Amino acid sequence: MNWPSFSFPFGGWFFLSLIPLVVLYFLKLKRPKLEIPSLALWQSVVNDQRVNSPFQKFRRNLLLLLQLILLCLVILALMQPFITAGPEKEDYLPILIDCSASMLATVEGEDQTRLDQAKEQIREISGNGKIGLYAFSNTGRRLTEFTDDRRILNRALDRLEGTHRVSRLDEVLRMVGAVARTLPVQRAIVFTDGNLKEHVDVELPFALEIRRVDEGGDNLGITEMNARRSGTDSWDVFVRVAGSTSEPAYGELKLTQDGKVVGREPVVASNQDSERVVFSVGSNGSSLLQATLKVDGFDSLDVDNTVWLNLPETRPLRIRTSADLFSWQHALNVQSDLDVDSGELPSTPSYDLIITDSYDLGGAAAPIVIYSGVVPEELKDLIAVSDVDVDETPVRIVDWVKTTPLLRHVQLRDVQIGQKARFAAGADAHDLEERGFEVLVHGAEGPLMLQRRRGLETEYYFLFHTDRSTLPYRVAFPILVTNVIETAMQQASLSEVVAAPTGVLPALNVAADREYVVQGPTGESDTVRSTASGLLTGIQADVVGKYNITDAGISVASVGTGLLSPLETSLRAVDELQFTELNVATSESQIIDSDRHLWWPLALMAFVFLLAEWWYFQRMKTGAVA
Amino acid sequence: MTAETSSQLTSLFSNSTLNRIERMRLNPLRRLTNRSRGENLAGKGGSSTDFADYRDYATGDDMRYVDWNIFARLRRPYIKQFLHEEELHVVIMVDASSSMLFDDKLLKARQLAAAFGIMGLLNVERVSVYGLHQQDGKSWMLPPGTGRTRIRALLEFLENLEGGGDVPVEKAIETMLRFHRGRGVAILLSDFLTFSNLSRSMNLLFSTGLEVWGLQILGESEISPNLEGDLRFVDSETGETLDVTNAGELLSLYHEHRVWQEEMLHQQCRSRNGRFTSVDSSMTLESVLFDVLCRQGWVLR
Repeated sequence: MNWPSFSFPFGGWFFLSLIPLVVLYFLKLKRPKLEIPSLALWQSVVNDQRVNSPFQKFRRNLLLLLQLILLCLVILALMQPFITAGPEKEDYLPILIDCSASMLATVEGEDQTRLDQAKEQIREISGNGKIGLYAFSNTGRRLTEFTDDRRILNRALDRLEGTHRVSRLDEVLRMVGAVARTLPVQRAIVFTDGNLKEHVDVELPFALEIRRVDEGGDNLGITEMNARRSGTDSWDVFVRVAGSTSEPAYGELKLTQDGKVVGREPVVASNQDSERVVFSVGSNGSSLLQATLKVDGFDSLDVDNTVWLNLPETRPLRIRTSADLFSWQHALNVQSDLDVDSGELPSTPSYDLIITDSYDLGGAAAPIVIYSGVVPEELKDLIAVSDVDVDETPVRIVDWVKTTPLLRHVQLRDVQIGQKARFAAGADAHDLEERGFEVLVHGAEGPLMLQRRRGLETEYYFLFHTDRSTLPYRVAFPILVTNVIETAMQQASLSEVVAAPTGVLPALNVAADREYVVQGPTGESDTVRSTASGLLTGIQADVVGKYNITDAGISVASVGTGLLSPLETSLRAVDELQFTELNVATSESQIIDSDRHLWWPLALMAFVFLLAEWWYFQRMKTGAVA
Repeated sequence: MTAETSSQLTSLFSNSTLNRIERMRLNPLRRLTNRSRGENLAGKGGSSTDFADYRDYATGDDMRYVDWNIFARLRRPYIKQFLHEEELHVVIMVDASSSMLFDDKLLKARQLAAAFGIMGLLNVERVSVYGLHQQDGKSWMLPPGTGRTRIRALLEFLENLEGGGDVPVEKAIETMLRFHRGRGVAILLSDFLTFSNLSRSMNLLFSTGLEVWGLQILGESEISPNLEGDLRFVDSETGETLDVTNAGELLSLYHEHRVWQEEMLHQQCRSRNGRFTSVDSSMTLESVLFDVLCRQGWVLR
């Protein structure tokens, strides 16, 4: 059994007021005076009664007894007793607050968000230990150190605002787990609306208690927006609208291009059936699309009603190939809308795709580079490549990663390779991974194809020269080339663009080493410096809206973000979180299992005693002497 | 004043009641009489016509009382003795303290005192009446007297007797005994609500030669009080207060104490050859006189 604790134990000093109450009662007790012939008999009666029942005097002072009980109850209520739901006393209690977009949801007729509810519940948590506040959305951050100072905690709660991001519990739990290594954290409490991913890839070093606030009301929002190039100057824009209720909700979707309305469509969606709306828009250059959803009736969450999408300027894909890679050139030349440069030297420093058989790119750069017959300098000590003798068994491909975009639907089983790559003695695939390489194609004696991601750039290494294999003669090759082109076009945003979710703005190609001012939708601005390669990355975008990037007052780009999270829009609460080792229930009963405050029953009892005292006083007053 | 009331001898009771009282007499338990001649037969020899006994003649005896018939037969002189009729002193003490003002107790006491006084006067007793209170300027004593002529004075004294004194009954008795001489009956009409023990007062009365008749008169508020809640009692005589909590629960204890006090007073009176009874002030005078007191042998009809 948990004994009650008190939020305001100093209120116990008010028990001293019992003394003046007793004194005043006996000093100020107004008894009705009654003149009688003589006190002789009554004096003996009273003496007799005092002798025979000395302890009944207090019982007979029922009015005083009621007043004492009343005062005690009021003081106890003032001390704000509560019964803790968990362990009675914890030295350190981390409290994790869900600040994702779904916590901004409201209920019809109320202005209070889920986050406000969570704040109220957190303010009611009492105890003798120290509390540390953490907020999380897709990332976690610490709001306060562990402290028992209520003012610090309340100030942090006052400052805390909801974000327009999705919720992920992993990172903040790892953060608290790191704290638990140095402090005796036995449990953590998560305040959330339950709108979380069911699987959490964290091993919990402490007990986790999920306290769910009430779910939000009806919601309808945009969960997806992308555009696919449908022609030389036209795009198909896809917008998906989803709802949170089982009953269909209605609304109207409006699409504007650079501020001009280009389409309107009525939409109907529920939590079982989302609606995908397609708009066809034309675009000569880059433009900014804005999809806005207007909901008929109450909408619980506003931030998922607007999404922006940047349509890039349409142009041919710029590809650079080595002059000797005839197989690749041949395969590329049959494709349309490509600008292939196969000269000895690169004509421009920037391409969308480079396919080379030399480690030296000649000063050119591209987001995707495919090396053929090249071993990365970093792996020369781990991998050795040699030609296969005529009498040797050709190298065969054992396995490959079929899910990677480049090798999708590519059949490499029958490809024969005239070069073989071998691991050096003691080396294996783990050593490659430690150096940032992933093996995509496995040979019998070593890797045959590697992938390395360097920021926005991706490098693919065929450790054998493709022309020294039967690959160009297989059906797999044109499929591979098509995949390469498709990947390059996606990377260059020439075939399909996807609306950016909140979090971090997509990287922008700008001038190298320059400072740019990024102004967000709420008016705040930040200065960001571009990289040496001319990329503007890592721009925080916590709020849904349009971000303007300017260089010395001149607009460089406008990028919009949206919530774009089916999970957040659905406002759906999971019943159980699946951790690595255990499951944690997030059922409604967790709400009940919170600290039980006892001040209001005490106040109610005090009121009842007040009524009883009043009744008794009136009865005594009217019935004194017949 | 109506013709009927103007014809009344006293305001204390009606003439018809007075007529019935005139035919009654007090019935003392012992013959505590005075030597002065009266209508009560003394225990020793007297000069009435009622024969009492014979004794041997002694020198100096009145020759008129020698029974000559006995002398003729026995040749020895015998003195013939007759019952001696002596006066009975009736001392009526009316408690006129403040406590007697409640529930017409004082009125009942005055009525009964008048009745006892008339009975005494009409039977040639020496009747004296004392108002046991000490209000300055007020007449508190009717000196002893006999005969019908004293009836008017008796009634006037009792009619004018006022209550409101603040002296306890035991002190008032001691004061009274300073003025009283004579044996007989002391009738004490009081509520006997006093803090002190009355044994001493009764001993004084008894040693004076008075048969103590205690007649307790209690009002309804004392016999069956109807009280409830927390009260502050104020003594009507002393002004002292007593806080009582939840008086309703103490009533049973109160009744026990009241009965015990009656029994104690009864015991005290009986041990001094007296009588004691307790009457309710709400009872009519007729029922008290002609029923209660007759049945208990206080008076004879």
